[in-house]
Amino acid sequence: MSPFLVRRLVRLAVVILGVSLVTFAILHASGDPVSLIMPEAPESDRAMLRKALGLHDPLPVQFARFVGNTVTGNFGKSFFHHGQSASALVLERMPTTLLLTVLSMGLALVVALPVGIYSAVRRGRAVDQLATGTVFLGQSMPVFWTGIMLILLFGVQWRVLPVSGWESWAAVLLPTATLSTFTAPLLLRIVRSSMLEVIGLDYVRTARAKGVSESLVIWRHALKNAALPLVTVTGLQFGLLLGGAVITETVFAIPGVGRLIVGAIRQLDFPVVQAGVFMLAMIVVSVNFLVDVLYLYLNPQIRIR
Amino acid sequence: MKRWFVLAIAVLALIGSAAPVAAQAKDTLVVALVSHAPTLDPHMHFERVGILVNINMFDSLLHKNRKLEYEPSLAMSWKTLNDTTWEFKLRKGVKFHNGDVMTAEDVKFSFDRVLEPGKEKKKSPQYGNIRAIKDVRIVDADTIHVVTEKPFPLLLERLVFFPIVPKKHIEKVGEEAFGTTAAVGTGPWKFVEWKRDQHIRLEAFDGHWRGKPAFKNLIVRNIPEVATQIAEMKTGGVDLIRNVSADLVPELKSHPQTYVSSAPILRVHYVELDMREAPFDKKAVRQAANYAIDKQAIIQKLMGGLGQQVATVVQPAAFGFEPEVKPFPYDPKKARELLAQAGHPNGVDITLHSAFVEFRPVFEAITQMLTEVGIRVNARMWDPGPAWNKFLQAEGKATNGYYGSWGNYSVFDADAVLHPLYHTEPGGWIGKWYTRVEGLDKLIDEARSTLNQAHRKRTYSQIQKLIREEAPAIFLWTQYDTLAISKRVDYAARGDEWLWLFDAKPKR
Repeated sequence: MSPFLVRRLVRLAVVILGVSLVTFAILHASGDPVSLIMPEAPESDRAMLRKALGLHDPLPVQFARFVGNTVTGNFGKSFFHHGQSASALVLERMPTTLLLTVLSMGLALVVALPVGIYSAVRRGRAVDQLATGTVFLGQSMPVFWTGIMLILLFGVQWRVLPVSGWESWAAVLLPTATLSTFTAPLLLRIVRSSMLEVIGLDYVRTARAKGVSESLVIWRHALKNAALPLVTVTGLQFGLLLGGAVITETVFAIPGVGRLIVGAIRQLDFPVVQAGVFMLAMIVVSVNFLVDVLYLYLNPQIRIR
Repeated sequence: MKRWFVLAIAVLALIGSAAPVAAQAKDTLVVALVSHAPTLDPHMHFERVGILVNINMFDSLLHKNRKLEYEPSLAMSWKTLNDTTWEFKLRKGVKFHNGDVMTAEDVKFSFDRVLEPGKEKKKSPQYGNIRAIKDVRIVDADTIHVVTEKPFPLLLERLVFFPIVPKKHIEKVGEEAFGTTAAVGTGPWKFVEWKRDQHIRLEAFDGHWRGKPAFKNLIVRNIPEVATQIAEMKTGGVDLIRNVSADLVPELKSHPQTYVSSAPILRVHYVELDMREAPFDKKAVRQAANYAIDKQAIIQKLMGGLGQQVATVVQPAAFGFEPEVKPFPYDPKKARELLAQAGHPNGVDITLHSAFVEFRPVFEAITQMLTEVGIRVNARMWDPGPAWNKFLQAEGKATNGYYGSWGNYSVFDADAVLHPLYHTEPGGWIGKWYTRVEGLDKLIDEARSTLNQAHRKRTYSQIQKLIREEAPAIFLWTQYDTLAISKRVDYAARGDEWLWLFDAKPKR
């Protein structure tokens, strides 16, 4: 394995430990779950429950136990979801969130790539100006607002798509579109600007001079070099999309991890929040690691550095 | 460009024709709640959204009708044998959804799994509600005795939601399965499936002792976002939503497919004042704050008229209400005078907090009215999440008071609001920090430890006169529960916020 990848793997471990520590610290600073579980019970009953949940131990002891359990994949039982393990609750909902995120990313790329390339090639023309305007609009709209507007138009006004839920493919369309609206503009901008940079370079001019067809110049020669920033941003956007999925899941009543975590934060359900945040962090970190691996393929120079 | 547009519309139309956006089947009733409880086991949570589902699947010993009077349910009759013993006669031949007949064993089992006698750690969050019960004895096949430690006047109220669960079944399938995939009760609907965070599907139970409910299928969807609930309401995807806020009422009232039904409920609003610190350690300042609020104007202008002024926190519908105690009138002049008398002729600066986000405009109006008479408010609004919880656990320090509400756990008795709000015992709720009214603890204790209702009534009257004078809070109004309902369904909001859907009927 190249030293580059080893360094990245070490960094990955550090990030995961950091995420665990920060989640743990913020949660324990945010209050006492027992008073939420038993709002009217006398202090003696609460103390008993605190003991049973392991919340009476000093914080370092609790953190050590948490890390130890995490390594073995055991996040403990949810305080609120009666008797169920926190990781099972998260895993049960993970496919939904991942599907939503991956579909949105896919849709965003499918839109951003051709439009971005086209507007770079036809710089300053009507299509380019329209695209730039759309980027501006798309990036200014908050996700929840986009979601509600799409519901009002497609669900209530025209009645062509279900308003909410996750029980048919038709129901998947609006949330996917909502989340892509948030990502596609940024990707489009990146594609456009890096293409613009690349197609002005000498080797592209050389390729053209050699008589290579325009489409081959763009898709083969130019795009491969323009792809590096796109891959970076796509990797980073994946994390943001997972974050955006939280809001989208709430607006469209989708049974995903984001909604679970938000509910768990409100109830101070420590094990569920920790399991959820940990697993999402794992996914984001893994995606970024994959991006690093892709770099190696796209730009051999990195292998040497 | 034009061709693309036409193509896009065609694709959308195609998807549209396949999408299930049509209205519900005639024999199906769909209700939307903002969340589901973590379990279907009626004893292992204490969430309103869970209770609303449970009551349609399980019966308790007693029931309350639409007028909120007690009715026999699984108990045919009840009486007190002495100050601490209650006798309940059970209904005969009641069947659980799995075909088993309900027995006195099941009743005792239901109490014992919450009380867990002899066990130190109680796993049911409802333990506090019935902790006064010492023992449940089976006398014969149709008779049980409930024995309380001290006289416990709230027993019947607590038993209106205390579902009876099947002993044999739970011992067979285990507690976890009972709460997730194998819930069995005696209620009008039986469990079919629970898709996490999506819906709970129930089906009418043929063997229910009341007869069959009008709707064969009952689906409880989980839709956290209010705007989405309303969009579903308008397109027929949902037949009933709760907690419709005042600003949305006109829209849903005039919509061709929906109507609105509201009822005054037990929830009372107040601004609790911190009597430990200046300036609210002085009675005159607390009274001034009460005179400063134009309650009627707020109810009319900000709450769509859906509210009723109250003199204290005890509601007209609760046992022990004293009609002779009248609300503070709106009198800003008197408020300024009282403030000056208390040594603040140039006014005084305070901080008020609230996490009551649905009523943010009301909170702003209250702070504005206080500021106008010279109680200048620094208002802080919180998200009702961990931060607010943390603030409460800091015993409400760093504030002179907070605006909030109390729902009495739907118990129609003055005790259910007076004890948590104004009793200073350590286990209590907000009163233990804020309230310092001499003699109040003793009166509240006295009223809750006798079964002599006349004596209780007199004591509550005394308490209400005392707190009206001492003003430990700015007393405001009772809230209304507002439902939006599809015009194909006949139902009305209840004063206890229950969704007792056995009463729901198809229209026409």
